[in-house]
Amino acid sequence: MKTIGVIGILASALPAVAGAQGRPTIAFRGDAGFVWVRSDTAAAAAGGAVRLRGPVLGGEGRVAFNGFAVGVGLLSGTLQAADQTVKRDLIEGRLVVAAQPLPWLEMSVGPFVRAYVTDSVTERWVFWQARARVEAPIVTASLTSYVELWRALSSQVNLVAGAGRVQGGEAGVVYRPPQRPFWLRLAYRVDDAAVRVGGSQTLEAISVSVVVGAR
Amino acid sequence: MTRAFIVLTMSLLLGGGQVLRAQSARDLLGQGVRAYQALEYDAAAALLEESLGRDSAAGLADSLRARALTYLGATELFRGQRDSAVATFRHLVLLNPRYRPDELIFPPQVTNLFQEVRRATRAIAVAVPPVTELRTRLERFTARVLTSSLADVTVMLAREDGTPVRQLYSGPVADSLLVSWDGLTAAGTAATDGRYLLQVTPRTPTADGPRARQVVLEVKQEAPDTLPWPPPLTTPPLLPERTSTGPALRSLAAGLVTGAAAVALPSIMAQGKDATGARFAVGAAVGVAGFVGFFAHKPRPLEANVRANASQREAWKKKLDQVKAENVARLRTMRLVVRAGPETIAERRSE
Repeated sequence: MKTIGVIGILASALPAVAGAQGRPTIAFRGDAGFVWVRSDTAAAAAGGAVRLRGPVLGGEGRVAFNGFAVGVGLLSGTLQAADQTVKRDLIEGRLVVAAQPLPWLEMSVGPFVRAYVTDSVTERWVFWQARARVEAPIVTASLTSYVELWRALSSQVNLVAGAGRVQGGEAGVVYRPPQRPFWLRLAYRVDDAAVRVGGSQTLEAISVSVVVGAR
Repeated sequence: MTRAFIVLTMSLLLGGGQVLRAQSARDLLGQGVRAYQALEYDAAAALLEESLGRDSAAGLADSLRARALTYLGATELFRGQRDSAVATFRHLVLLNPRYRPDELIFPPQVTNLFQEVRRATRAIAVAVPPVTELRTRLERFTARVLTSSLADVTVMLAREDGTPVRQLYSGPVADSLLVSWDGLTAAGTAATDGRYLLQVTPRTPTADGPRARQVVLEVKQEAPDTLPWPPPLTTPPLLPERTSTGPALRSLAAGLVTGAAAVALPSIMAQGKDATGARFAVGAAVGVAGFVGFFAHKPRPLEANVRANASQREAWKKKLDQVKAENVARLRTMRLVVRAGPETIAERRSE
């Protein structure tokens, strides 16, 4: 609920930002999804790999102008093991600055924060992402597929082992109903974050999104 | 230098020989005529016979031969050799059935004897131009048939082997007759390339009648200048009648590639990790979207373009038909080149 409240504040602030830039376009996306996390880092998996899953809600606000865009996104949910013995809150937040050099290509960079929160400890990952997104129309203007890959330029984690390679990708399809002010998106993403001394965390998510406003 | 001089001298000697022979025959004819005019008939006969005897390849032309024969016949008559005079005049009639001695030069007893011989000698001759170019049906090849006296003749065009091609005339010829041929066979088609015979034969051959004459005609077709067909219609100016398959295939490819990417993402970005089945759901959904795009962009007819093309095709077909009709007309009037050989005596065919 706290996350949704933050998103709402950001969304309400976006028009004011946009108005200062001339004629920008604004979009707001709301996500509903399900996340699977598999962690075999030493800290997390004292007794073997931990597998968590749970529903998440999120959103992103974005202002675009002259081929550039700035966006802020948040995602939150509660994950737990199948036997409900382990329970964590997942919170993700990111700031993205994007450029679209070609109609089908978007490049973006920005900081990304992911936190696994328990009552006693918070495992926090912070990394700078570089992302590349390629779009391919399926049915002109109304149905589009996309693939997005990213890799961390730098990463930090508050684990003793330290962060190693962090990368991920996303693929999905976007449907823009004709004469409607919203879009629908179905996406699958996978992020893999390795720690330096061995072990990693893999996050998979499937999400359905509603986007309101122009891209 | 010396070699060139020798070659030049030899050429002049060899080439000049014929000229000297021809001049010699002509000189003999002139000397014979002068002897005749001087009433030296024996000398005239000898000179004229010698001039005629030298008329092989480089001898007298037909007109001079006719002159020599006329003087020789008159000479023989005045020498009292009437039979020789008759034989000479007969030879003259056969050479040219239309020839007449000049009544201002020769006295009546000579011209009367010639007419007598001419009436008794039934001769046929054919005169054709050496080369004739004609367009079949429109233009004509002409041949003049000459007879010394009234004769019933058949003028036939035949293949070299004697196969009749077309009868050009059948009937009487009093003095001369102009026969024409439009280049067609009896079947109405243009004569094909080959050698033909233009035969003039008496309709009722007799032993003492005129002998059939023939001329070999070398006929060659020349292809008529036909119009080229209009260039085939292509796109453009034809408009596409169906939407392209490209967008459909691109849509399908986009869906399938993205779907495959969704399925393969864990293998690429998180190697060695167990992935859930969620990726298959998204991959399948994107793949299905690709098929939806494929069928949405499936090629379909463009009715407006089809109608516009139909009128273009109709105009093109009309133009093509016009060209075809014009070419058929041109092909019907084939161009022929007819080259005539020398006139010869035709062998009598066994009936």
